[in-house]
Amino acid sequence: MPVAAQRFVLPYNSVMTTASPIPKDLTACPDCDLLLHTDDATHDRQGHCPRCDALLWDVSNHARDIDFAAAISGLLLFVPAVTLPILHFSMAGQHGSNSLIDGVWRLWQESEQLLAVLILLCSVVAPLVHMLLAATIGLCQRLQRYPNLYPRWLKWHNWMRSWSMLEVYAMGIIVAYVKMMHDGDVAVAPGTYCLSALLLCIILCNQYFSEEQAWQCWEQRTNA
Amino acid sequence: MTITARDRGLARCEACAKLSRLPLKNKQETRHCPRCNSALSYRRPLSLQFSWAYTLAATVLLIPANFLPILTVVSFGQGDPDTIMSGVVKLWESELQLVAAVVFIASIAVPVTKLVIIVMLMLVVQVRLPLSKQQCTILYRFIHFIGRWSMLDLFMISILVTLVHMGNIANVESGPAATAFAAVVVLTLFAANSFDPRLLWDLDHD
Repeated sequence: MPVAAQRFVLPYNSVMTTASPIPKDLTACPDCDLLLHTDDATHDRQGHCPRCDALLWDVSNHARDIDFAAAISGLLLFVPAVTLPILHFSMAGQHGSNSLIDGVWRLWQESEQLLAVLILLCSVVAPLVHMLLAATIGLCQRLQRYPNLYPRWLKWHNWMRSWSMLEVYAMGIIVAYVKMMHDGDVAVAPGTYCLSALLLCIILCNQYFSEEQAWQCWEQRTNA
Repeated sequence: MTITARDRGLARCEACAKLSRLPLKNKQETRHCPRCNSALSYRRPLSLQFSWAYTLAATVLLIPANFLPILTVVSFGQGDPDTIMSGVVKLWESELQLVAAVVFIASIAVPVTKLVIIVMLMLVVQVRLPLSKQQCTILYRFIHFIGRWSMLDLFMISILVTLVHMGNIANVESGPAATAFAAVVVLTLFAANSFDPRLLWDLDHD
């Protein structure tokens, strides 16, 4: 009788199983500072604070590679999503189109520099650096090599994640589309599809990335 | 009786969430997290002071943001500058009620609600308004969640300014309110980030 093929085991599996999204032994609720034991909580999928119901951890063991895969896909999609035209507009024989990076440049030329910088950060720089760092951190965990910059990367990753606002930008595209519908012909251009796919990657990457696990990987390296 | 981490002399790292022992004595010396090397403290330092400063600045900037023109749509030489509110009204009048509602919520309702909620939370901590801690925490999470959606109007301006740039036939220009509004959004984000919700729960322990 044929033996079922063993699942190919990558070397990082040993580390990934000891580093978990659940904090070791004790944790404090970020919102109300309640001290909590986490020893007997390993089987719960999600941990909530009993006093204020804050989400403490979310175990998604079934999908431990999704964040890494999503980060790499996001990086591949990034350049077309930022440079390709998002909407086409035509009116009285004249045409216009816009892309993410054009929008920033146009504002800069209209001497709205502060606004241009803010939009550059929220719609281009933060998503790019967030994906880059998520992929780098994922790679570090898989190669089990943790450079000294690793803690700084994790902190930057967090900061960039909070400033990446492409989902709001997508809503802005919809509002702009509807707003211009009556004045001329508006059409969706290829950039929108790339942007939607990039957005999906960012959401998946956020959903499955566990910060606590990434920190525990770093801790175990320093202890070893 | 519930026990907080601070009762046991444990501080939660703001950057990596690790608990570590933080002695109350010799306060001059800053302790650093053993895992990520960030400075440790029991509560965000000067949380209320920073929150008040950001909130007041944002409230003042709401005035230019709402009364100065934010967007001018010129087509065939005609068009007036629009403020945020007149833009919403125009959208509503041109049978685009849904979009008008989205823009109204994102640009007017969200910033104002955020400021009201932050002021309320800070008053709960400072004057001990008798409000439920659970509900205050829910409000705190709510302002964190909705804050970023105020950026909608700014992104829309960036899209329209680039898309409709056709010289005399049609042109969209941004106005001075855009920068003021951007400042309001960023300042309210800062205000929400510097407020420490654990201060609400500390009221039960004193």
